Amino acid sequence: MAASLVRLVRGGVCRSLNLHRTAALAPARLEATTAETRPTVRPKDAVAHQQLSAFGEYVAEILPKYVQQVQVTCYNELEVMIHPEGIVPVLTFLRDHTNAQFRNMIDLTAVDIPSRQNRFEIVYNLLSLRFNSRIRVKTYTDELTPVDSSVSVHHAANWYEREVWDMYGVFFANHPDLRRILTDYGFEGHPFRKDFPLSGYVEVRYDDELKRVVAEPVELTQEFRKYDLNSPWESFPAHRESKDAPKLEAGDKPPVTK
Amino acid sequence: MRRTGSVAKMAGVIKKTTGLVGLAVSPNPHERLRILYSKILASLQTMPQDAAYRKYTEQIISGRYSLLKAEPDVEKLEKKINCGQIEEVIAQAETELSLSRKMSEWKPWEPLIDEPPPNQWKWPI
Amino acid sequence: MATTAATRAAGGAAKAVKPIFSRDVDEAKRRARELYRAWYREVPNTVCIYQLDITTQQGREKLREMFNKNKHVTDPRVVDMLVIKGKMELQETINVWKQKTHIMRYFHESETPRPTDFLSKFYTGHDP
Repeated sequence: MAASLVRLVRGGVCRSLNLHRTAALAPARLEATTAETRPTVRPKDAVAHQQLSAFGEYVAEILPKYVQQVQVTCYNELEVMIHPEGIVPVLTFLRDHTNAQFRNMIDLTAVDIPSRQNRFEIVYNLLSLRFNSRIRVKTYTDELTPVDSSVSVHHAANWYEREVWDMYGVFFANHPDLRRILTDYGFEGHPFRKDFPLSGYVEVRYDDELKRVVAEPVELTQEFRKYDLNSPWESFPAHRESKDAPKLEAGDKPPVTK
Repeated sequence: MRRTGSVAKMAGVIKKTTGLVGLAVSPNPHERLRILYSKILASLQTMPQDAAYRKYTEQIISGRYSLLKAEPDVEKLEKKINCGQIEEVIAQAETELSLSRKMSEWKPWEPLIDEPPPNQWKWPI
Repeated sequence: MATTAATRAAGGAAKAVKPIFSRDVDEAKRRARELYRAWYREVPNTVCIYQLDITTQQGREKLREMFNKNKHVTDPRVVDMLVIKGKMELQETINVWKQKTHIMRYFHESETPRPTDFLSKFYTGHDP
């Protein structure tokens, strides 16, 4: 059973690739001849979708203590939402388990959504070379809650976590060398937070009298001042709860719920 | 050179290298895998019967173990297991063993620690 | 698990939070004091290594002022976060990763004080 499952995952990925190639051509022709009744969309790859959701259920069944939700996005990406306590166990499981083998950490980043109770989402992108598949692990935190560092699992996480610390101010507990990586020494604030102003807080110039570079609070000239440079956050209507729109409750229709 | 040569002679195999950096040719893969698999199965015994991790890992490992017992030829065994060269299979068994030991500490078969806060995973907001 | 249980018992709050380092205010205060001492000892070295045009006394006054700026903070987690950032700054200073300009930025030498009353705001021409 186990070996067959492995083969199913491996063979399935190859098969789905072929299917994708042939299927991409045929419907495109059809759509061109018929009247354009529906928009051009990415053809659905049911096989890959099926396998990813099966693997997602497999992960959720093995780690019920940490996995909160599993979903496959419309672009066939498997996402596993976990509790922040479970970062090291889940990543270690995905790295070491024979049916997973996600040995490579491709990316680690954060997303800032200020309207949430836990405003930061931490996102881990992993790659399994053995099974040619990717997985995305997501968790959450706020400004003051430390997150367990994943450097003990993936060494690649070292600089990524430094970057997230520098840009978002998320503290990673047990990180071997947590310090700034992108901003200048003495820089204050975390630039990727949504409440960080676009113009920044200070501007830098060379001072002839003091014979060194000095930093001063930003002073915008008259005409430039008219623009709202505070935050682009509010200009996205999708991120605001509209009053009269039909309410969609949480967990209304997740694609695959565990 | 001399070392790989002697290893090959010991194992009685033709293979000189795995072609993968840092992965040496195993002199006696059957013995090594047998030890690893029995260790993994022993460490799985400490977990509760209905733990999904134990169930699935036992399936994988005992399936491979029976293949290992039945097939003395390394190349045929690699084909039957169908998960890379035998050295890679050994590496997988090693990581699985360390994972199973960690798993019995973490106890991931317990119920969910905490529900996510409302609307945490709702997108778009 | 044990840590959250401990905070729940200690705080008695509705929602248990995960501490960064310190379990209570006293421990956080101790960390802040340790950081202050470390900085205090480092000031003469800094003045010497960076060849700053200030005395040790001035440096220590500035240090005190900057710690006093966050005097009102009582949440141990916020204190911890500030201490972490202060430690990182100290590390940057000790290892001379910073340059003279970064150290002297604490003193705001080039900045002219912002106008406060109506007339001087009017004279400077902008800034509401």
